[in-house]
Amino acid sequence: MKNSLKRISALARLVVVDGIRRHALIGLVVLALGIEVSGLFFFSFVPRDIGRMLTDFIVTIGWCAGMVFLFFHAVQVMSWGEDRRVIHTLLARPLSRTEYVAGVFAGLLFLLLLLNALLGAIGYGVLALIRHWVGEVYFSHLGILEYILSWVGVLCIQAMILSAIVLFSGIIRGGFTVLLVSLTYYLICNGLPVAIEFFKDASPLARKFMVGLTLVFPNFSRFDYKGLIVALGKWPEVTTLALNLAYVVLYCALVLTLAAGIYNRRDLK
Amino acid sequence: MAEGVCFSEVWKTYERELGTDAQPALRGVTFAVRRGETLGLIGANGAGKSTCIRLLMDFIRPDKGAITLDGRSPADSRLRHDIGYLPEIASFPANLTVLDMLSFVGATHDLSKNDLTEQSEKWLRALELWDARKRPIHSYSKGMQQRASFVLALVHDPSLLILDEPMSGLDPIGRASITQLIQSLKTQGKTILFCTHILDDVDRLADRLLILHKGEKRFEGTPIELSGNFGTTTIVDGFLSAIGVIQP
Repeated sequence: MKNSLKRISALARLVVVDGIRRHALIGLVVLALGIEVSGLFFFSFVPRDIGRMLTDFIVTIGWCAGMVFLFFHAVQVMSWGEDRRVIHTLLARPLSRTEYVAGVFAGLLFLLLLLNALLGAIGYGVLALIRHWVGEVYFSHLGILEYILSWVGVLCIQAMILSAIVLFSGIIRGGFTVLLVSLTYYLICNGLPVAIEFFKDASPLARKFMVGLTLVFPNFSRFDYKGLIVALGKWPEVTTLALNLAYVVLYCALVLTLAAGIYNRRDLK
Repeated sequence: MAEGVCFSEVWKTYERELGTDAQPALRGVTFAVRRGETLGLIGANGAGKSTCIRLLMDFIRPDKGAITLDGRSPADSRLRHDIGYLPEIASFPANLTVLDMLSFVGATHDLSKNDLTEQSEKWLRALELWDARKRPIHSYSKGMQQRASFVLALVHDPSLLILDEPMSGLDPIGRASITQLIQSLKTQGKTILFCTHILDDVDRLADRLLILHKGEKRFEGTPIELSGNFGTTTIVDGFLSAIGVIQP
């Protein structure tokens, strides 16, 4: 077990080092930071509810950067294995295919954590500065814990999408196909709550089916906490938070187990 | 427990791709590589050489038949502690240096920090990559990438070397130095299985050779036995006779 963790962390480190040196990712971070900082210049055009609007803006920038990371970096990393046979170089070591799946997932998740931490920290600085400038009348509350919670929510969503990308990379060959399937998955996840609402008067069986689908295609809106940052005393119940966290851990664990199972059975040509 | 590498009646057909018929890449191939010997796997393009190596490394699985390494299945990843693998095309994550890869190899093979540092320096200097060790591997020439792959295959001191086209992409000087390296590894008693279509290499390096043609074994034995079997004087003629291009 200890050796297995050592091998997984060695692979994760490789993925992290490769990602940190990738120019496209550095460009993504610089662009996202630039957009966050631009909030300092246009906030005065916002007529009212500056706090809510700007917190939405900052967290959404992080979420967008995460999506670009997932669909254009994570998909590419998973397919370098297949397209460029890097997977052969890595699996020529005493590394099982399950450890390979866990290592690549851990490395990419760590990169996402770094990305969110950096954008979150700079974003908080931007919000605090604007609040200091406009005063409490226009920006009444900036809860640090709620702010951290909203970024944890973003990371939870990204972790679930990442696990799905790892699964799709096991099932399908070719980076572009994985990208298309991952985008479709994401669109279904986003559209399902709307569909459930639309079919609320349908037969109980149909409704149960639709709700059952959310086990496969999670409802990401339950991890959207950014509305709490400027609201006083609206911290969600601990049981709700614990259930949501358990759901994310269980979802990722199940999807990765399935992905590892597929990687273990298939040929890696 | 059988020592060395053992293929027994191995069949492998790749999945059919759109518009093509599935053709078996290997048709009941049986051979063995004993500990301490060097076996050259030769054949034309599409003969099944790389398929044998991928099966041995467990990248792909056989449809029928059995493959063992010291009596164990290649699916057992612990076996690879003792294997040095050189891929046909050197492939690395784009932005890493050879030192990053060596640190990964050290962690996965449980090498101590001292051993890793000592062995890395030894092989990087021997293969003339010491000065380029901090450069991203993607900035290397093809020959340098091939030598980097050799460093990674040898740094953990494996007793079995599996080399897929070891001379691929090397200039004549590079080929001569790699030939010398393989010869010195032979004298250290390493078991070596290499595949190539450069027949001069086989003549210089292999104790025995295995000729594959269209997925079938056509000959297994020493170069002298090849000449004897087909009444030829050179390995090239022996090979061409074995695959039926010229009549013995």
